[in-house]
Amino acid sequence: MKKLYLVLAALIIASMVLSACGTAPSAEDCASPDVFCVGLVTDVGKINDKSFNQSAWEGVQKAQTDGVADVVQYIETTDAKDYAKNIAQFGDAGYDAIVTVGFALGEATVAAAATYPDIHFIGVDQFQAETTEGVSGLNFPEDNAGFLVGALAAMMSESHKIGAVCGTDVVPPVWRFGEGYKAGAAYADAQNGTTTEVFVVYHSDVGFDKTFTDPEWGAQTAKSMMDQGADAIFGCGGITGNGAITAAAQAGAYAIGVDTDQYLTLPEAAPRMLSSAMKLITPGVAKLIAAVKDGTIESGNVFGDAGYAPFHDLEASVPAEVKTAMETINTGLLDGSIKTDVPPVKP
Amino acid sequence: MQAEKQSSSLARQILKSATESSLIPFLAILTAVIVGGIIISIVGGNPFQAYRGLIEGSLGSQKALSETAVWATPYIFAGLAVALAFKGGLFNIGAEGQLALGAVFSSLIGYALPGWLGFDLPTIIHLPLAIIVGMIAGGIWAGVVGALKAYTGGHEVINTIMMNYIALNTTSFLLNGIMKDKSPTNVIARTPMIADSARIPTIFEGLRVHWGFLLALLVAFFIWWLLTKTTLGFEIRTVGLNPDAAKYAGINVKRTITLTMVFSGMLAGLAGAIEVTGLNFRHELGFSIGYGFDAIAIALLGKSHPLGVVLAAILFAAMRNGATRMQFITQLPVDLISMLQAFILLFVAADAIVRYIYRVKSKGERVVLTRGWGG
Repeated sequence: MKKLYLVLAALIIASMVLSACGTAPSAEDCASPDVFCVGLVTDVGKINDKSFNQSAWEGVQKAQTDGVADVVQYIETTDAKDYAKNIAQFGDAGYDAIVTVGFALGEATVAAAATYPDIHFIGVDQFQAETTEGVSGLNFPEDNAGFLVGALAAMMSESHKIGAVCGTDVVPPVWRFGEGYKAGAAYADAQNGTTTEVFVVYHSDVGFDKTFTDPEWGAQTAKSMMDQGADAIFGCGGITGNGAITAAAQAGAYAIGVDTDQYLTLPEAAPRMLSSAMKLITPGVAKLIAAVKDGTIESGNVFGDAGYAPFHDLEASVPAEVKTAMETINTGLLDGSIKTDVPPVKP
Repeated sequence: MQAEKQSSSLARQILKSATESSLIPFLAILTAVIVGGIIISIVGGNPFQAYRGLIEGSLGSQKALSETAVWATPYIFAGLAVALAFKGGLFNIGAEGQLALGAVFSSLIGYALPGWLGFDLPTIIHLPLAIIVGMIAGGIWAGVVGALKAYTGGHEVINTIMMNYIALNTTSFLLNGIMKDKSPTNVIARTPMIADSARIPTIFEGLRVHWGFLLALLVAFFIWWLLTKTTLGFEIRTVGLNPDAAKYAGINVKRTITLTMVFSGMLAGLAGAIEVTGLNFRHELGFSIGYGFDAIAIALLGKSHPLGVVLAAILFAAMRNGATRMQFITQLPVDLISMLQAFILLFVAADAIVRYIYRVKSKGERVVLTRGWGG
C-alpha cells in the first residue's frame, strides 16, 4: 500500500510542478465591447494542413499581429456534426468575428448568423447564392490566378506549347482558372512577340462524381499534351488536376498547382513545381477581419486577391526578366490596369 | 414480502458485482487522467485548465449535456454491436462499414421513398421504415461475415476488415454518384436532405438531443434482457465461451454464430440510421470518422456488458464533446482526447499494470473476448 501512495504522490506532484511551467490562457472577456475577439472553425481537418485551414488561421493571426484583434482562438472540427456546436462555442462567448473555413461549413455559417445577429461571419470559399445579413463569403478571382500562371508558363516554355488539365467547366471557378490561363498566355505572347499554343482540356465528359477525383484521366491527358510537345502543365481541378501535375513533374515538364502553394502539398511533384495559381486566403481573411472591426464589412460575396506561389526549387531556372514581368503583371491585375476579360460564368 | 426481499438482495448482488467489475475500468480512467495530465504539462499546457474545459464542455450546461447525449447515441448502438459479438466469441471490426451502410440506406429511404411512391408518407410509417431499412442493411452486411465464419471457417476479423473497405468505398461511390445531392450549388459528396416525415424529433426545444438517445438506452436494456433472460442469449454466450461444449449441449453453433453477427450488424446499422434520421438528416462523406472503431474501445471498456457499454459510451461521448471547450480554453490539440482514450484502453486491456500500481488482487475469472485465430 505504501508504494501505491508513493507512486500516486509522485505522479500528482510531477503533474503540478510541470503544469506550473505551462502558460496560462488569456482570460480576456470577449463579451466586452472593448475586446475584439476572432474565432476560427476549421473544416474537418487540422489547423496545420498546409492548405485552406492553415492559410485562413494565418490570416487570423495576422489580424492579431496587426493589432486589429485582441484575442484569437481556433477550434478544429473532428466531425461534420460538430460544425454548429463549434461555431456556437465562439458565439456564446461573445466573439466579434467568426471565420469558418471551407464550402462544407456554408450552411452552418448561414444558420449561425441568424442565431448570433451581433457577430459577423467570414466564410472562406463559401459562395453566397443569396446574401445573408452578417455573412461575408470570401471568394477569389480565379481568372486572375489562372492569368498569372498562364503568362508564366508561356514565358518559361521552350517548345511554346503549354497545357492545362481541369475539372468540369460547369463549375464557374474551374472555368475561370482555365480561361484565365489562356488569356495570360495570350498576354505574354503579345508582350514578347511569341506564339504559344495552349491546350486547355476540361473534364466535362463525366459526371460531377468523377470530374474532380480522376487522377488517372488527369495523368493521361497531361501525357498526351506532353506527347504533342507541351512542356508546362497546369492542373486545375482537385485530385484530377493533381494527377496531371504529378505526371508532368515525373516527365520533367514544368508543373503548376492550384488554390494553395502545392509545392507544400504534393511532395512527389515538388522538384518540378514551377508555381501555383493561388487564392490569397491569408491577406483576404486579415483584410475582412479589419473591415469587421471598422464596420465597413459588407455581407454577401466579397472578393480577395489572387497570386502566384514562389518558384521554390526552380528559383534558379527562372530568368530575372521573367520574374520582373511576373511582378508587373501581378501589380497590373491588382490595380486593375490589366484585365483578364473573363466573364464570371461561362456564357 | 418474499418477492421484495428477493429483489432487494438481487439489487445488492448486482450492485456488488457492478462495483467489482467496474473497479479496474475506474482505476484505468483515473490513471489515464493522471498520465494525460502529465503529458499535457509536457507539451506546455495546463492540465487543470484542460480538464476544467473538458468537464465544462461535456457537463457544464444544458447544451453541453445535450451534445454529450448526441455524441453518446451512436456510440451506444455501435458499442453494443461490438459487445454483443464479443459475447458470442466474435470480433466485429466491421462496425464502421455496417454503420455507413445503415446510414446510406436509411437516408435513401428518407429522401427518395416519397418520390418513388408519388405521395408523402406519415411519420409513423416513414420514420420506422427508414430506421429499419438501415438496420437491415447493417445486419445483412455483417450476416455475410457470420455465415462465412460459421459455414466455411473464414475468420471474421479478416472478413469484417475487408467488408469495411467494400462498404466505405461503395458509400463513397454512391454519395459521389447517383445519391449525390444534385442542387447546383452543392460540391460536397452528400445525399439530399431526408423528408420531414423521416426525422426523429428532438426531446427539448432548442437542444439537439433527440429521442434516438432514449431508444439507445432502451436497446441496451433489450440486449441485456436478450443475453441474460432468453434461450437465444444463453446460446450466444455458450457458443462464445466454448463452441464445442455448445455443440454437445445441442446448440446449433453455425446458426448461432450467423445470428450473432446479424444482430451485431443490425445494431451498427441502427447507429448509422439514427444519426441520419435524428441528427444530420442526410448522409455525407466525412460524417462518422471512426465511430465503428471507437465502438471497439467502448465495448472493451464496458467489459461487453450492456450497462458498461452505456457508461463507457457516455464517457467517450463526454470526452469527444468536451474536447471543443478544452481546445477553446487551452488551444491544445483535440488529438489529446484520442490519446486519453488510448490510455484508458491500454490500462483496461493491460489490467496487470493497473492491478500492480494499485495492488488490486486478481479475482481469477478472465473475460473471454474472442476465441482468437482459427477458433
